[in-house]
Amino acid sequence: MSNSKQDTAGKLSLLTQVKASFSNQSALLVVTLVVLGVVFQITSQGIFLTTNTLGTVLNDWGSYILLAVAQTFVVITGGIDLSVGATVSLSSVVAGWVLVRGLGLDSTTTGSDATPYVLLAVFVSLMVGLTVGAINAFLINVLRIVPFIATLATMGAMAGLAIIISGGMPLQGPNNWELGIPYNVFGIQLPISTTVLAVIIITVICGLVLHKTKFGLHTFALGSNSFATRAAGISPAKQITKVYMLSGGLAGLAGAYAYIRLGAGSPSNGSGMELYAIAAVVIGGVSLMGGVGRMVGIALGTLVLFTVQSGLLMVKVVTVSPSLKQVIVALLIVAAVAVQTLQKSGRK
Amino acid sequence: MNKRILKVGFAALTAAALTLGITGCAPEKKLTIAFVMGAESDPFFQAMKVGAEAEALAQGVDLIWQGDPSAYDVATQVPIVDNVLAQSPDGLVLIPTDPTGLQASADKATAAGVALALVDTTINDTTNAVITITGDNGDGGAKAADAIANAIGYTDGETYEVVVGLTSATATTNVGRLEGFKARVASDYPGILIKDVAYSASNPQTANSNVNNWLTKYPNLKGIFAIDGTNASGAAAALQAKGLVGKIALVGYDAYPANVELIKSGVFTALIAQDPAAEARLAIQALVAFIKNGTNPSVKDVVIPNVTLDANTSDDDFAKYTYVAIN
Repeated sequence: MSNSKQDTAGKLSLLTQVKASFSNQSALLVVTLVVLGVVFQITSQGIFLTTNTLGTVLNDWGSYILLAVAQTFVVITGGIDLSVGATVSLSSVVAGWVLVRGLGLDSTTTGSDATPYVLLAVFVSLMVGLTVGAINAFLINVLRIVPFIATLATMGAMAGLAIIISGGMPLQGPNNWELGIPYNVFGIQLPISTTVLAVIIITVICGLVLHKTKFGLHTFALGSNSFATRAAGISPAKQITKVYMLSGGLAGLAGAYAYIRLGAGSPSNGSGMELYAIAAVVIGGVSLMGGVGRMVGIALGTLVLFTVQSGLLMVKVVTVSPSLKQVIVALLIVAAVAVQTLQKSGRK
Repeated sequence: MNKRILKVGFAALTAAALTLGITGCAPEKKLTIAFVMGAESDPFFQAMKVGAEAEALAQGVDLIWQGDPSAYDVATQVPIVDNVLAQSPDGLVLIPTDPTGLQASADKATAAGVALALVDTTINDTTNAVITITGDNGDGGAKAADAIANAIGYTDGETYEVVVGLTSATATTNVGRLEGFKARVASDYPGILIKDVAYSASNPQTANSNVNNWLTKYPNLKGIFAIDGTNASGAAAALQAKGLVGKIALVGYDAYPANVELIKSGVFTALIAQDPAAEARLAIQALVAFIKNGTNPSVKDVVIPNVTLDANTSDDDFAKYTYVAIN
């Protein structure tokens, strides 16, 4: 083969690779992140790509990624879980109630003295979340209510319970603020805190569960073809129970995250979060029709969403009004869905 | 003849007396007042509910308390008002989440003969309302400017960077407070520069994120005006986590018990407090008087002043203005 032919073959191969990369949602999201990083670094006059700002972006990411992961499992089965935001509120409130009303503690307990109580808050929140997930599964499996309506009902019920339990007020309890502060290693400030690190580990584990285990395989199978799943000997009801309990448990942990972030359990801690979780899932490339989705895409999609949120606030060269920010986020979601649709039509 | 006249007269009198007696003895119809608030998860509305329930009991009226559990949103409030009106209440106390978006709902209520009171926020055309009641949001914003200026030791000729955390662009309370804040800054503290505003959409985590970003964007930040309780909670957590308590003046709105405690520990420089329970009581009183007697209130547009709570506030005033929870 002559050199020119090799060059041509190499160029074709490179072109094919680039095309393949852009047909991949995750690669596209990485490129988007890089572009956003450069644009915001310039427009913020050099303060966007700093550990402080990235720390805030990752802190927001930590608040929402657990819900996005929860939503991913559910959406892949062809369902939806609208109750995750209300579960965040309820679980943080119950955790706050246990510490403040149950144990008689208040916000004066801080630092390492508060750590055991924070861990108790995490445990309580997880239990609350698992319970909500079990209720959702019961409504879907036993009462045969479609997931949208079932989780809409629990969303209302859990939001109401959070108000009843808290009396509508934030329950300010013991907190170790250090857990949410980014690490400083040998004088070098990192953008990652203990809480964010914990969330990254949970996300990686969930990714492995989704893509490398039988449980994940059954989740995809259920969303692709529930009849074939049943024919293969997999019980859809059992799988739905596991998936919705996982979703509830993750939402419960997001409630614990909110408690640690704010030092309080409040009925508004999860306000509107379910919609951002769904948006992150869509941007991350999960098909709302079920059966399709990758955890890497979800992690990146959520990161894109909160990079935009923080980045627009950091812009200095022009004033980006909060209303314009909402429009830009909405356009981002539309663009993500449009890319998915184009990819599908391209594959056909 | 005379006997006959007497008999007829007696019968007529008896019948009249019986009729009057029956009418007089008939139990008076119990009034129903519907109360549609903004977002039940907001402690402000919980404190309002305490006042509404107490006044409904005192007036002997049935109370329908409704509203979205967590979203302060025109899209969810309109169908709630429709559902409440379908129950044919005698009066409606409405906290409109948007002055334009709730106009049609308010007009629908008054067209159906339902007496209307507007509380906390308002609509564009209040002609048909029996009463409008609000905290003096403009004055509250001005008081917040005073509190920040006092905390940062404002001196003419110096410049000071401050930011404002809002919940939404259209909530009339937010708008009123921001305008009052800006007006007082312009007139009395020209060295205070309002560098930025951002929305929290009623989520304290979003408010927390906004403040964290501002702390990076404005390294010389001197003050934060958190325009409502949600923003106050988020901002307080940000300052505590970053060890900036006492270094940046934080003035919040709404006297949540948890936030009042944080005045004492120095996290909040001051809180501007309203009296939501008093607003609810006054609204129900006005509607009952109007429905029963056709009496209009002596003042149609009532403004209840706000107060500044800070480290110098007496325990009695703290007790008076701290929002009371339902349970």
